[in-house]
Amino acid sequence: MAKTTKAPGAGSAALPVGLLLAVLVPLLLMPLAAVFVFAFRGGFKDFLSALTAEDAQFALRFSLLIAFLTAAVNAVLGTFAAYVLAKYRFPGKKPLTIAVNLPVAIPTVVVGTSLLLLWGPIGLLGKALAPLGFSPMFAPAGVLLAHLFVTFPYMLGAVKPLLDELEVTYEEAAYTLGAGKWQTFRYVILPALRGGLFSGTLLTFAHSLGEFGATVMVSGNLRLRTQTAPLFIFAQFEAGNVEKANAVAAVLAALSFAIFFFLLRWSGPTGGRGQGH
Amino acid sequence: MSIVLDRLSKRFGSQTVVSRVSLEIEDGELFVLLGASGSGKSTVLRLIAGLSVPDSGTIQLRGRDVTDLAPQEREIGFVFQNYSIFRHMSVAENIEFPLKIRKVPAAERTRRREELLDLVGLGGLGGRYAHQLSGGQQQRVALARSLAHKPSVLLLDEPFGALDVKIRGQLRRNLREIQQKLKVTAILVTHDQEEGFELADRVGLMDRGALLEVGRPESLYARPRTLFGATFLGAGTVLVGRVRGNEARLGDLALPIPPEVEHEEGSRVRVLFRPEQVELCSAQPEGAIRLLGKGEIVEQSFLGALRRLRVRLPPIPGTRQAAPAPYGEEGLLVDVVQPAEEPLPGPEVWVSLRGWHILAPPRPRLLICALPAPATYPSVLPHLVEAVDAVPVLLAVDEDGDEKGTEELRTTVLERAAAGGSGALDGAEVLVRRGDPAAEIGSEQAQSLYDFVVLSGATGPVVDGLLDRLSTALLVLRGDRPALQRILICTAVGEPGKADVRVGGWLARRLDAEVTLLHVNVRIGGLGGPPEPWVQSHLDRGVATLRALEVKSRSTIRRARTPAEGILAEAAEGQYDLIVMGRHAPRRGPLFGGKAADITLRILAGTETSMLIVPADE
Repeated sequence: MAKTTKAPGAGSAALPVGLLLAVLVPLLLMPLAAVFVFAFRGGFKDFLSALTAEDAQFALRFSLLIAFLTAAVNAVLGTFAAYVLAKYRFPGKKPLTIAVNLPVAIPTVVVGTSLLLLWGPIGLLGKALAPLGFSPMFAPAGVLLAHLFVTFPYMLGAVKPLLDELEVTYEEAAYTLGAGKWQTFRYVILPALRGGLFSGTLLTFAHSLGEFGATVMVSGNLRLRTQTAPLFIFAQFEAGNVEKANAVAAVLAALSFAIFFFLLRWSGPTGGRGQGH
Repeated sequence: MSIVLDRLSKRFGSQTVVSRVSLEIEDGELFVLLGASGSGKSTVLRLIAGLSVPDSGTIQLRGRDVTDLAPQEREIGFVFQNYSIFRHMSVAENIEFPLKIRKVPAAERTRRREELLDLVGLGGLGGRYAHQLSGGQQQRVALARSLAHKPSVLLLDEPFGALDVKIRGQLRRNLREIQQKLKVTAILVTHDQEEGFELADRVGLMDRGALLEVGRPESLYARPRTLFGATFLGAGTVLVGRVRGNEARLGDLALPIPPEVEHEEGSRVRVLFRPEQVELCSAQPEGAIRLLGKGEIVEQSFLGALRRLRVRLPPIPGTRQAAPAPYGEEGLLVDVVQPAEEPLPGPEVWVSLRGWHILAPPRPRLLICALPAPATYPSVLPHLVEAVDAVPVLLAVDEDGDEKGTEELRTTVLERAAAGGSGALDGAEVLVRRGDPAAEIGSEQAQSLYDFVVLSGATGPVVDGLLDRLSTALLVLRGDRPALQRILICTAVGEPGKADVRVGGWLARRLDAEVTLLHVNVRIGGLGGPPEPWVQSHLDRGVATLRALEVKSRSTIRRARTPAEGILAEAAEGQYDLIVMGRHAPRRGPLFGGKAADITLRILAGTETSMLIVPADE
């Protein structure tokens, strides 16, 4: 038993804040800084030339494209899944809810392996679809598939709580006012989900941008074909091109900061309600 | 006629939440559905709006059958208890929403929106959002929005439920004004009796899914038909006495029964008096004919303009209390209000009545069991239920089923009940039990006190098991006659009471049937049995009783070796649809000849005709 307990806020904040910083500086802040420090070690010119190299350019563009596609597809799919899971009652609803949230719990490398085993040349679907000219593994389509899988729960997690909270009377009110099912969804439900849609899409985008484990398995890490930015960083680092790796890493880090900033703004205590009129 | 509901029923799972509700609402009327929570009133509103689909029955709005239409096609306005203002839209956008959906031009929308904002007293607040409005303001936005597309019918679900008492009064008056100005037909659902009385042109009182009473607030308050109506709509005392002649007797007090209230000699009668109809005096009032008795004041509370008192009277023989709840009380409790400035009388007071109201007799309750479950119901049953205006309860006893079978059985029973076609059994309560049918019927009867137990199908062993514990009339329906037109009542001289004639006659009047009164004179070699003149005068009195009930009847005397023989012979000759018999205390010991000598069982075994077995008077 402590002899004295201090009321929160009483006394000096120096000690706890100092302690926290002592832990956080080497743990979080120094590595973040290191990315930029190493990227610019050879000067801005070297940084730019590293960034404009053909393979670095491809990796960044490919990563952004995949992230856009993943965010777009999962925005629709995740919202649909959230709507079905929130609004309908059907047998097997509980296991399904668990199943769609599972991708966050499985190690991404395992996801990559299982995708390979399913879609690969010897996989069940891979074998069936190969004669039709569709073999996604070691191809851009495979990267997209992996990213869709890994990021699926983020959209769901952002939208479903809002749908659960939205009382059914809002829909019913729209019906009694003459709005059809689609109009009700478009004008009443969707706007009420705006905050969740936005943050869910950004989260999906950010996770897709940084995805490594599943991508490395399904892409084959083919330069100028399936190499995403994180794979490029890893490959260059292994080859000893630290500056080249760090230049792309700095861009990725900057992008992530930007996304994170938006997320904080949007879901902060003052934002998110969408009073932008 | 703006709204016509015809025998609307709705079940959730196995629970009936709306039971055969029929209602007609005039153009421009404000109708209030009043009931406790869970009474089904909100479900009725949702059925009218199309937010819920009825299991049976029809809904007409402005002469158009909308039963199968989606809510969008019904042209209604609905105000939800939580208002459901769209939060991402401004007040103006909310109000314009139904117009936008209908593609009304922008200029027209703006005009209509401003008009509505003025109407509900929110002019200038169009730019606000829901979270910037008070509860009362949100409610008015919801009202304005529901009226924007000029619906023919306005439905309001507890619109004042979430507001504090002071704002409610103001908003009620506003709503009434707006409704009268627009002459829109409206149904408002509330559990608040005061709110209902203040707003309504007419009130409909709901209890457990049924619409019990409909009427103007004043007449419902002064002259309710049911006990629920009497106690739900304001305070009051209900005492149960007996009918003697054309009077209700509460001890020494005799109150005339008005001709429009149905009553039968000797039956129970319920008398309501409101607190303001009771007068208290410190001394015995002289020449007071409506004197109830002398009691003491046990409670009193000051309500501002009025003072509420509760007086306890000593028990009155032959009189029982129905309300206020007589729990743990031997005497009778009478609620009184008087102007607060009137001096409080001493602890001992004389209680007399300035006014009173006789309640209609309760609807008979029928426990219906088709055996073995699930069996089809005889075609005469719906007709019977309708003729006696009964509350039917369907009991199905599963003799060896599991949990799953029980649910299936319930569904099957509901389907078979609905198959009758007339709808009399639609929405009936369904009970499913497991075990021995006779035991289950007996325990259900003991718990809920039905007026009739109706059996059909393979009734043999069940009747046998039920007869000994029977405390209520047992109707055994056999064969498949479409109607019960010819009734044979078997009576005997010196029976303890005339229950068979009374109950048989009661049924005959409602079925519009003809009655034959039979007496069997047992004579063996010219000996035994009462002399003929006695028998004749007994039968004449029976015929007179039936005549008083407005039942056509004749009497006949038969001679036979045993009563059973005589009855069976008459039944065989007379083409009767129903045989009515009294039932006496069981005399089935070996000393009396065992089962074989039981006359009821012998008649049951000897004919295929339906039978009504009436227990002897208590």
